[in-house]
Amino acid sequence: MIGSVQHIVIVGGGTAGWLSACVLAARHPELAITLVESPDIPTIGVGEGTWPTMRDTLATIGISEAEFLRECDASFKQGSRFDGWVNGSAADSYLHPFTQPPQGDMRDLLAAWQAGSADTAFAAAMTAQHATCARDLAPRQRTMPDYSGALNYGYHLDAGKFAALLARHATDRLGVTRIYAEVIGVVTGENGDIAALELRKYATLAGDFFLDCSGQAAILIGRHFDVEWIDRSDVSFNDRALAVQVPVAPDSPVASQTIGTAHEAGWLWDIALPTRRGIGCVYSSRFLTDEASERILSDYLRAQVPWVDPDQLAPRKLSFATGHRARFWERNCLAVGLSAGFIEPLEASAIVLIELSLMALAENFPASRTTMDIHAARFNELFLYRWDRIVEFLKLHYVLSHRDEPYWQAQRAPETIPPRLAENLALWKEQPPAIWDLPRVNEIFSAASQQYVLYGMNFPVPTQGITTTPAAAARLVDVRERARALAAALPANRDYFIAAAARAEPRAAHGEFAKR
Amino acid sequence: MTKHQILNNSDHRDLRVRTETGVEYGDNVMACLTVPAEFHRVQGCFPIVFRRDVESDKLSALALFGFENGENLFLEGERWDARYRPLALTIQPFLVGRPATDDGEAQVHIDMGHPRIAASGEGTRVFDEDGMPTPYLEAIAEKLGDLDHGYRESVGFFAALERYELLEPFTLEVPLNDGSQHSLVGFQTIDERRLASLDGDALGALGALHSEGFLLPIFMALASVSQFSELVGRKNARVAGG
Repeated sequence: MIGSVQHIVIVGGGTAGWLSACVLAARHPELAITLVESPDIPTIGVGEGTWPTMRDTLATIGISEAEFLRECDASFKQGSRFDGWVNGSAADSYLHPFTQPPQGDMRDLLAAWQAGSADTAFAAAMTAQHATCARDLAPRQRTMPDYSGALNYGYHLDAGKFAALLARHATDRLGVTRIYAEVIGVVTGENGDIAALELRKYATLAGDFFLDCSGQAAILIGRHFDVEWIDRSDVSFNDRALAVQVPVAPDSPVASQTIGTAHEAGWLWDIALPTRRGIGCVYSSRFLTDEASERILSDYLRAQVPWVDPDQLAPRKLSFATGHRARFWERNCLAVGLSAGFIEPLEASAIVLIELSLMALAENFPASRTTMDIHAARFNELFLYRWDRIVEFLKLHYVLSHRDEPYWQAQRAPETIPPRLAENLALWKEQPPAIWDLPRVNEIFSAASQQYVLYGMNFPVPTQGITTTPAAAARLVDVRERARALAAALPANRDYFIAAAARAEPRAAHGEFAKR
Repeated sequence: MTKHQILNNSDHRDLRVRTETGVEYGDNVMACLTVPAEFHRVQGCFPIVFRRDVESDKLSALALFGFENGENLFLEGERWDARYRPLALTIQPFLVGRPATDDGEAQVHIDMGHPRIAASGEGTRVFDEDGMPTPYLEAIAEKLGDLDHGYRESVGFFAALERYELLEPFTLEVPLNDGSQHSLVGFQTIDERRLASLDGDALGALGALHSEGFLLPIFMALASVSQFSELVGRKNARVAGG
């Protein structure tokens, strides 16, 4: 077929590039895929937290869960906990778990929750996951089939190791070609498409379709096509981060959720892997000096990981622009990952956006150049919609706060709140978030996510049309019983990883040496 | 090695029990004890036979899973391949204990030497971190109660079987497809002809058995004999499968 799309060229060898290579190779084995990565550029690692979607993604590309966990030093992520976001008091903490509330009308469930004991947190009333997170338990038992659990979960992972695993998988098992070379130019075809890439010390690399996974460099979508960047820093203030990694004892508990702790001008992340904790301080340079952010980070380290001397650590400094492209798919080029856009890692949206981009591409793959512009227009419309929803959902975490530092007051200024979010907040005074507010397929942040943040942060429950029903009360009793049962039956994260490691080694009976 | 202890929330606060199925958890048994109250569930899957202990002369009822020691034809790797799992298996590694005085309150005992006692952090907790029973222990306690009640009921049941001479020795010759021959000896089953000859009068033997609740389990044990063909079929499949 003239203009058929057969050869895919991916630029960039980080999480976005290798995930793209694996997903496209697995779902479209008819395509020839070449990934070109610069030998000199270290990968940033766009994120170390995934959404539950990663389980489907890994199953699709054919990596077993045990291999993934082992090779990426991964742990289970069951949600995010937000400490200090409402008022900064010691008791100020709520959970945004991945498991949905029980079936049924949220109005009835809210009424049942309100009628119950007053000190039960919303998330604790709505899902057994609150109990497992509080105890550092795994969401599954090792005997369960791969990628299934008693509760919904994603992962925390070592992004560098993840990219390396995906690279091995793509090249060894999925037939992806890997080239180490620097892209130094673009050859444009007569129609304005990218015809080929010029590589240093390498032959020109021709292709039918190009994926820009080059990160902040945005070699194709930015440098070549110069697609407009839409700045979102008017809504999302944070633009700096300090990041450290802290080793942990081999028998220490491993937390089941990302912990985000608010500070005077931003927040701190704390992500537990079996071998280390990744801790970072996100802030707005408009409201906080770099020196002050270092102090906030070292105070946190002293309190949370007292076995480490903060003065011996050299935090990595990152600065970032918040925003995204006006178009992600331009002609025969799609930007995936940081080249498409970036926002602070508050709800781990980076990797899930990569997955959603690849799902949209793989399920609507242009067989020829003829349909490419139609696909591009639809993709761009969908992902602009998604970026708007992400920006709004992250903003929701700030506008519901009662903290009174200048940064937090500025976050609540009406002119910084997107109109659609302002509308939703008006609606949610009268009715809980519902599918009507988020009607698209594969919304990143479902109505349940909005509910967990809203009622976790003490947003008033609507009074109109809220009635207690025996059915809703019974569902909350079921949640409590399930929480008791799961708290008894699930292993601690640490015990899960110890048992998995023991399984991988030659087995010796308890207290004996392995027989030769 | 059995190591019985009285279950309590201080010694066993952090205890976990493996609840999976498998040889490593002691499921490779050819039979387990059963009680009349569960005969109606057992008979749908397994033959029910009776055995007289030579030393104590006491009768017991067994659900049969295989033809020789260590053979469980319902154990398929990590899967229990039957709709029902008799109480005496599901309650392991727990047992009903009784203080020396015979009428004392029943206690939950645990065999700390049982392979179901978890050596790692995997398995199901018996007590929560506050020392309260978990739903698992609650379910176990209920089953132990059923089993204990069943054992007490068995005394009268066995006495009735003896009073009316309803048991007959049972020998099963099992010719397998590969030409080998197995035989099962030393068990007893319900004597069908003797049962049929009992007086049907409401004041007679059948009436008495019925009023004590023994008639139903007697018929269930009788019906369970048809499960021997299932057991032989499974044995043949194992032999054929190597």
